[in-house]
Amino acid sequence: MPDLMPFAQWLHATPASNWINSSRWLWPLCESLHFMGLSLLVGITGFLDLRLMGFFRRVPVAAARDLMPFALVGFGLNVATGIVFLIGLPEQYFANRMWWFKVGFLALAGLNAAFYETRLSAKMLALEPSGDLPRAAKLVGFVSLVSWFAVLYCGRMLAFIGDAF
Amino acid sequence: MTELFASIEGSALAAWVRESPSIWAYATILTLHTVGLAIVVGVNVVVDLRLLGRAPRIPVASLRALFPIMWAGFAINLTSGLLLFIADATTKSGQRVFWVKLACITLALLVARTVATRLRHDHPGNLRALAVTSLVLWAGAIVAGRLMAYL
Repeated sequence: MPDLMPFAQWLHATPASNWINSSRWLWPLCESLHFMGLSLLVGITGFLDLRLMGFFRRVPVAAARDLMPFALVGFGLNVATGIVFLIGLPEQYFANRMWWFKVGFLALAGLNAAFYETRLSAKMLALEPSGDLPRAAKLVGFVSLVSWFAVLYCGRMLAFIGDAF
Repeated sequence: MTELFASIEGSALAAWVRESPSIWAYATILTLHTVGLAIVVGVNVVVDLRLLGRAPRIPVASLRALFPIMWAGFAINLTSGLLLFIADATTKSGQRVFWVKLACITLALLVARTVATRLRHDHPGNLRALAVTSLVLWAGAIVAGRLMAYL
């Protein structure tokens, strides 16, 4: 892996980074928004995941997916606030292995969702509303649920394994 | 009251949560508190958005199945929250924002219980006001919880 520390130090010296660190309230504001974003994302995605795994049979799979635009709003909120944290203190994240695990699980969740959307979603909509789902759908739901909670775990553990906050 | 909180904080359990270098002490308890938050607020977000008219293809009555998940998440957060509280009982009990957070959570849970009860009826009526109240209270609980680390 290329050494990211020169980039991190450059980023840390930018006016944007200075501004983020000089504001007393920006950091807690972004953290609050980050928690609201994760609630939207994990709540709505988790609902669809559980449906794909075979829970909530009274909810058609297509309907369980209808709230996903709000999950994407949550995701966008967390990417934006996450970038604020990263610009504010780049070294502590790049140097933290839990942060890289978090990025890895984000990628897994993204690939899993892309697989569902391109290969499975259309087939799922054609199924009987309350019917049993193919094993691939159950697996996608399970992988998604596990990845998002792993993202959460790694994000919170940043502060304790590797000393970021 | 202050003496009570001081004696709680002086207990062996509180000292373990606060001072143990083990990853299973403070770090894991705090992480579980975030996992529980995602479950509790996440379920409420799904229920509230549906009650506000989003995703109309989701049958409203089916939302009832989500509440046991919310209560499981709350059990995680009540337990982890109590452990985090006793670790710093004197400081936290002296923070006004801590009591604001508890008030938001108590009211939000009462709203959730009311919604769950109304959903048991054939005609639950208009629950939009309760849904908005719920979203505002959970956002308030999150902000107040975060501010505990800064005020």
